[in-house]
Amino acid sequence: MDPLFQEPVSPGAESDFEVALVSLNQWQLAWRRFRRHKLALFGGGLFLTMVAIAVFGPFLLPYNPIYVPTPLHYCPGSTTQLAFNGCPPLTAGHLLGTTGSLQLDLLTLVVNGGRISLLIGVGASIFAAILGTIVGGLAGYFGGWIDTIAMRCVDVLLSLPILIVITVFAKAFGLGDWRIIMVVFAALSWPGLARLVRSLFLTLRTEVFVDAARAVGVSDRRIIFRHILPNAVSPIIVSTTLSIAAIIVTEAFVDYLGYGVDPEKTPTWGNILTNAQSSIIVGNWWWALFPGMAIVLTVLGINFMGDGLRDALDPRSRA
Amino acid sequence: MTSQPNTAEATAATAAAAAAAPLLDVRGLRTYFHVMDGTVKAVDGVDFSIPRGGTVGLVGESGCGKSVTAHSIMRLIDIPPGEIVAGEVLFDGRDLLKLPMDKMRQVRGDEIAMIFQEPMTSLNPVFTIGDQISEAILLHSKATKKEAWNLAIESLKDVGVSAPERRVKQYPHELSGGMRQRAMIAMALSCHPKLLIADEPTTALDVTIQAQILELIKEIQARTGTALLLITHDLAVVAETVQTIAVMYGGRIVETGTVDEVLLNPQHPYTQGLLNSIPGVAKRGQALSVIKGVVPNPFRMPPGCKFQPRCPYAWDRCRECEPDLFEVSSGARSRCFLQAPEGVDRREAYQKSAQDTVRGVVG
Repeated sequence: MDPLFQEPVSPGAESDFEVALVSLNQWQLAWRRFRRHKLALFGGGLFLTMVAIAVFGPFLLPYNPIYVPTPLHYCPGSTTQLAFNGCPPLTAGHLLGTTGSLQLDLLTLVVNGGRISLLIGVGASIFAAILGTIVGGLAGYFGGWIDTIAMRCVDVLLSLPILIVITVFAKAFGLGDWRIIMVVFAALSWPGLARLVRSLFLTLRTEVFVDAARAVGVSDRRIIFRHILPNAVSPIIVSTTLSIAAIIVTEAFVDYLGYGVDPEKTPTWGNILTNAQSSIIVGNWWWALFPGMAIVLTVLGINFMGDGLRDALDPRSRA
Repeated sequence: MTSQPNTAEATAATAAAAAAAPLLDVRGLRTYFHVMDGTVKAVDGVDFSIPRGGTVGLVGESGCGKSVTAHSIMRLIDIPPGEIVAGEVLFDGRDLLKLPMDKMRQVRGDEIAMIFQEPMTSLNPVFTIGDQISEAILLHSKATKKEAWNLAIESLKDVGVSAPERRVKQYPHELSGGMRQRAMIAMALSCHPKLLIADEPTTALDVTIQAQILELIKEIQARTGTALLLITHDLAVVAETVQTIAVMYGGRIVETGTVDEVLLNPQHPYTQGLLNSIPGVAKRGQALSVIKGVVPNPFRMPPGCKFQPRCPYAWDRCRECEPDLFEVSSGARSRCFLQAPEGVDRREAYQKSAQDTVRGVVG
């Protein structure tokens, strides 16, 4: 029997077919549509795998990510490969090989780096989503001078050259702390979302159901957060998901340039690459390849997932 | 009731006075919209009142200001661009226009409820019917969530929704237009308001559903004794539903009286024009008659009487200044110089033509 249909409640009464259909809320409907989108499922799986590896991986690996107590002269099982140039993948004890100079285990490095890269990407996106939703929501709902002030701030922030600002911040606050980098990214990412949320609120606040809610005495705050926001949440989720990918890429670039998270304290996918670049000429290709692949796979997974979410969360389709 | 009554007599007297006073008394209401091209005087001096338990129909073409009047009473006008420039909305002795917003929110839904034109869009798509009705109940009573939910089921049952225990769990998109309008009515009535404002409640519905919904509104009005302000452009709807009728044109009331007075004995050429536009059995085979001309441009209202450019009876006097609401012999009031002393010699010709119109409609 189709799970959508249930037995009529009162078999004696004239059956009401419209009522027999099970009501699904917007999340159940969205999940149903998302499930059909194979590429999105794959992307979501990829992203969740990366997250799981980053979260649990460091507990399973025996190596310290930034320090090797007893450096080797030659790679294990080789008499010619100097450990100083890094040992290749599949070397005994080192699945992805080791890095040059410090001889760090590359798998440990990539897994630990993933923690910070993902944390900055997800954390900054969530901060930006909250801030952007509040500012954009208030601007769109109330309009007038609130809107003017909020949107001029957005204009100013959007016209800042992000990379330059971040390098200036990095110089000003000193290299290093990933929390500062995350806050800077959050502070620079919310304006785009605020614009989106404002435009959603501008259309939604003229909906009759908003007037109807006001007509039964609902307060402005409740209208904004309980009546309008649930109708705007789909684009916010899609945009936030995609911004995780964008922030991961930009943050990796800033780290790579050496203005981001301090590689001597905290590895990230970006700052692993900084030192890797000079080793490529001595034949160490794996040092750059694996963190690079981690970035690519994560971003690809997020983008596939975002695409599926966009289709799944579209309230106009009930496929 | 401002004075402190200290004897039983005084209490009785005040109570009697309060009972005699109308429930809603709108005086000199003016609502303007300040837009880029200028100011639209959507409502420009409207007076009417609704007695307790009374029913009033507000009739007019699109853009005559009837919806804006209703929204102004509820203070649902967006400010800016809108502005309630002048007037009083006395409801149960209080001027709603002077209430602070938190007090006004207590009035909304609890004492005055509103039904909107579009049942398709007036329910929030992401909440179940039960959530929306019980929200209204929770806002205005001390009921628990469970009690409010049960009251929601009760109120759906009251408006004739089948299987209400299952409907409350459904989302608006799962209901038909008629069902949604019933749910809106259930929501509006869930707090037992003293006044129900119905803004074109049947316009967006099928003809058969229209009749059912009107029947429902009438039945509920009679059962609960709530006062009703019915806004519509459909003369047939008001004729069946209300006691008193006010015809609006260009942001003002042009004729008002009981349904019989106004519809069977129209004293304003605009009302006559509206009646004349109704297709009637007696007029079979003739072209449909319409009111000549168009609704005046809101930015450039004509001088004098606003209906004067379209009025077949207009003369110089009508272009000089705007007429007052004149008392007519039948008890109705009409904003037309034909009813003034200076129109006395033209009145007879109008009356004759108006009677022909009425005969054409009534048959």
